[in-house]
Amino acid sequence: MRAIKGVLLTCDSAVKQILLTMNEKDPFVIEDLDDYHLVIKADEEYRVRRELEAELEKNTYSLETN
Amino acid sequence: MPVQSLKNTDVIVPQHAPHPLLPFLQSQSQTTLTRLYQRPSSCLSIFRLLGPIERQLIMNLLWLESALSAATMSAWVLPEGKNAYDSALTVMTGLHIAPNSAVKLALNPTFKSGLRQAITGGGNTGSFGVPTDKDAKRQSANIENLDAYALERWETILHYMVSSGQGQNPTKPSQGVLYLLQRSGLMNNVHGAALQITSSGFQFLLHSPHDQLWNLLLQYLHMAEERQMDLVEVLSFLFMLSTMDLGREYSTEPLSETQKAMLEDLRDYGLVWQRKTSSKRFSPTRLATTLTSSSPPLPSSHSTGGSRMADGTGAVALSSGAAQQGFIVLETNYRIYAYTDNPLQTAVLNLFITMKYRFPNLVVGMLTRESVRKALGNGISADQIISYLTTHAHPQMRKNNPLLPVTVQDQIRLWELERNRLKSAEGYLYKDFASQADYEYVLAYAKQLDVVLWENMAKRCFFGTLDGHANVRGFIERRTGSV
Repeated sequence: MRAIKGVLLTCDSAVKQILLTMNEKDPFVIEDLDDYHLVIKADEEYRVRRELEAELEKNTYSLETN
Repeated sequence: MPVQSLKNTDVIVPQHAPHPLLPFLQSQSQTTLTRLYQRPSSCLSIFRLLGPIERQLIMNLLWLESALSAATMSAWVLPEGKNAYDSALTVMTGLHIAPNSAVKLALNPTFKSGLRQAITGGGNTGSFGVPTDKDAKRQSANIENLDAYALERWETILHYMVSSGQGQNPTKPSQGVLYLLQRSGLMNNVHGAALQITSSGFQFLLHSPHDQLWNLLLQYLHMAEERQMDLVEVLSFLFMLSTMDLGREYSTEPLSETQKAMLEDLRDYGLVWQRKTSSKRFSPTRLATTLTSSSPPLPSSHSTGGSRMADGTGAVALSSGAAQQGFIVLETNYRIYAYTDNPLQTAVLNLFITMKYRFPNLVVGMLTRESVRKALGNGISADQIISYLTTHAHPQMRKNNPLLPVTVQDQIRLWELERNRLKSAEGYLYKDFASQADYEYVLAYAKQLDVVLWENMAKRCFFGTLDGHANVRGFIERRTGSV
């Protein structure tokens, strides 16, 4: 048996799919556990969070009234 | 948003939030507390800080000469109120007011005599402060000047905190105050040069002045031991201040060395006023005299949505106080109209609102996603923003039920949840077990240690925490002889 060091990410399914897409460009996922969990490399966590936030910002729109 | 349903209880035992000073007092030794109780003003002040049930119990026991049997006292308690009664007794025991005994109830004799003296006005310990005669040469400060002084000092401190990170250059409070702010974790030295406000500092700003004041004083008390100040002297001076009359001058003669040193610090916080450092008299300001009461600590024409209720009778004071002091109107289109000209309040609002217009008596802004996210990023929580808006709501808003529009409240909470979509935990993934039995055995052990974050029987793997790894690995090695 093996013990692999990593970071467990808990999220909803949509965010998980976004993370898997990001993974194809720049791999960081060690293992895909189930619909809500991923294990990623420990030192990649900060970068992943930043990129995820940038990705989610693309989907938000705010109406600037004057 | 789920609707909160009222709990259906027959007897509603009123919830009383304990004063923040009480845990600190309970952590002191019995000797310290007994020395503190030798002064009647301290006994009276501590009495005021306690909750209604504790106060009633103390008053019941105060004038008895001998001890009362515990059974007699508990016969007075309704069955529904038993929990409240027990917790009140625990509080009193923690403060060494009543020695812990299941059989008899009596008050600590020092406390008993101290409180009796305070109530009947006997003794001449001078623990309530020694007033001085009117000084013929110079004019003593009147109440307006004292209020203005206290307000100016207090707001300097808060304003410095708010504008520290935003490029403005407000007046700096004194070195002692800066040191206190740093020690209490409200500000810290980020780049070695100026102090920057921290997230607990932001939360501090949204509290009521009473809470803020006690927060700082508690920090001061914690630091007292390091500065070799006698804790009993410090506490008894604070309690003496809280029982003084506003607008009277008191002499510095009977104060001990420690207490005289404290005068300088208290001047910086706006609690006392002295003509100059060597002056032999001082006057307490409203901040000092309302330390243990529920009246607003700062004059009512300004900000502050009422102080924390230290006793039940504060309810009336709170609503009438807040009615004069609420100034924010929040509309369903996320617009905020704040009827204020106070720069500190404007600065606090700027923390989570995008300002649009500013008039002499009015500030207009909007709660936008960016502004709220900026506040959330600084460590302020959605609940704090909502409670700040509720506390300082304009009286006109009271027509609405609920006070703040539900849409806006929900949206602020949703913006907070947006930031929490991804949760992470460091640890180890255990997989490739030899057999199902093996897996279950190790999993059971890990569960016993409570280190399992995720498991999957079908895939035969689980994720454990970082701290638990050493134990689990040791267990596996022992079991299999070698990994």
